[in-house]
Amino acid sequence: MSEFTNAESNMDPQFKFCWVIALRAEAKPLIDALKMKLVENKSLFPIYANEETGHALVISGTGSIKSAAAATFLKTYLKINDYSAWINLGIAGFFKGPIGDIYQANKVVLKESGAAFFPGLRLSKQIPSAILFTVSKPENGYKEKVLYDMEAAGFCEMAPSFSCNELTYVIKIVSDTPNASSSLITKHLVRELIEKQLSKILDIIAEIEILVEEEKKRLSIPNEVIEFEKRFKFTETNKYKFREIYRKWKVAFPSKKLDLSEFLNSQPKEIILRLEKEVLFNAEDWNVL
Amino acid sequence: MIFFEEEIYEHPTTARIRRALPKASWVPIDRYQELFNKRHQNFKLQKKNPALILAKKHDNFVLPVPSGFGMGSHKNFYFSHMYNCLYDCKYCFLQGMYSSANFVLFVNFEDFFRSISEKIKEYKGQSLTFFSGYDCDSLAFDKLSGFADQALSFFNGLSNVELELRTKSIAIGSLLQREPLSNCIVAFSLSPAQIAKSLDSKAPSINRRISAIKQLADAGWKIGLRFDPLIYTSDWKELYSALFADIMNGLDPERIHSISYGPLRFPKTMYKKAASLHPEHKLFAFPMEETNGVVSYGAKIETQMHDFLKSELNNYISENKIFQCTI
Ligand code: SF4
Repeated sequence: MSEFTNAESNMDPQFKFCWVIALRAEAKPLIDALKMKLVENKSLFPIYANEETGHALVISGTGSIKSAAAATFLKTYLKINDYSAWINLGIAGFFKGPIGDIYQANKVVLKESGAAFFPGLRLSKQIPSAILFTVSKPENGYKEKVLYDMEAAGFCEMAPSFSCNELTYVIKIVSDTPNASSSLITKHLVRELIEKQLSKILDIIAEIEILVEEEKKRLSIPNEVIEFEKRFKFTETNKYKFREIYRKWKVAFPSKKLDLSEFLNSQPKEIILRLEKEVLFNAEDWNVL
Repeated sequence: MIFFEEEIYEHPTTARIRRALPKASWVPIDRYQELFNKRHQNFKLQKKNPALILAKKHDNFVLPVPSGFGMGSHKNFYFSHMYNCLYDCKYCFLQGMYSSANFVLFVNFEDFFRSISEKIKEYKGQSLTFFSGYDCDSLAFDKLSGFADQALSFFNGLSNVELELRTKSIAIGSLLQREPLSNCIVAFSLSPAQIAKSLDSKAPSINRRISAIKQLADAGWKIGLRFDPLIYTSDWKELYSALFADIMNGLDPERIHSISYGPLRFPKTMYKKAASLHPEHKLFAFPMEETNGVVSYGAKIETQMHDFLKSELNNYISENKIFQCTI
């Protein structure tokens, strides 16, 4: 059970951004900038979070499978909502310099199998994009005009099922090239590369947040509905019918409140019927505009 | 962002788009389905910034239209050189049909034309109509694709065979540049301006569509008017009457090939999906009826609208040019 779960109100924290990052050195600048705190350190995957800013972060370790597993662990541990954005951030090899440049992966290919993923909407106003190959061993040949990492494909396989493909992002910062060998990469260099791109990363977050908010609005279940569903025993079919007629009722009467006290002695079917009647009555002078 | 099947990189249509969009990022793919049919896509978010996918179509170029669609030819077929649309109409069935809002443009127009030729041969002597714009808008992408020009050159002079270009677009440049084809109908989908403003997101306004209709009619093109779907609202009679008056004002009725109208209907699953994408829109808050898996306004409203449209349209045009679409 996550320490964030508020058992009394049964309200889970609302994380809007979930970061899946391979190395601690890659994560550190972000943890500091977004003021995240360590919330889980007993398992294989340390989790950091800041409930106020809505950011959660898991350190996965190196490798595609670990990246998928860590994302799944974070999703379960913090009960992440289905409107949250998932971002895999890290360093990557590239066929050309300079090191420190930041890219969005527009296509991620698991080199071993050829499986391809196409994460996210294009953030073309913010950063350029490139194809990324996820390899199982460090790539030193840079044979193709692509980015190379060791995690993104596993992340892309899993993360879209937690929210959707358009809220899944892979952002990479060039750390090694044919002219700057991967053997020169140190923790210090990694931190520095990420730190230098922090303001760009914050811009990206701001752009993705607009999408997250839109999805949150679309998917959220109004408190009134939650209250009614707690108070009355709806069958699954009636729950669906209730939510659907409530949606229509609320559009028809945006300023009205569904008052629990008016229904205390009602059966779920009677509640549905009453809303249906009101919606039908209102339809006699229907204005679609 | 443009994804392209590597197989068609050298195709002339691809080359045309490369020239038109020199700054776009081009990303190779094997087949368009690997992107278009992926699970967990979010149609609504994707619609904010859809990618263009250039692909080659391999089969099912030309298909028979569903029953209830069409305008009296013996045989009606449709073909789709694109999947998805630049516009974002709230009632569009594409949002329920595809999980992706990305545009797929099949660049091998020549294979569509070959397949159409085969159908013409197969139904020799019968009158045939080919509908374009079933899974897309026929003209909305035309500046980039150059499709209309090639389609018109192909259909030019074919006897007993009609082409209908169905559109909400005002990209009529390629039509105005050439002599009108006697066997081509440019069919515009229309709703009262206030309704279109609320429902036909990103599509040209009704005024601009009407102006395009008049330009084409003046240039000698045959016009189709499509009031489909009919949208119910409190003052719908006044709104539709005013719309007909606006369209017909200064338009030679002789230039009108046909008028069709059809009620707002959705298969149940499509309705659910569309409503989940626009949960707060009033279009999806009306107490619709469901009969045999089809969600509609119900027989009473449909009949009222049908009767009104038929009599109102009769004021402008002879009955044999008016059709009801019932799919
Ligand atoms: S113009 Fe037609 S195809 Fe395009 S979004 Fe509107 S209804 Fe759909």
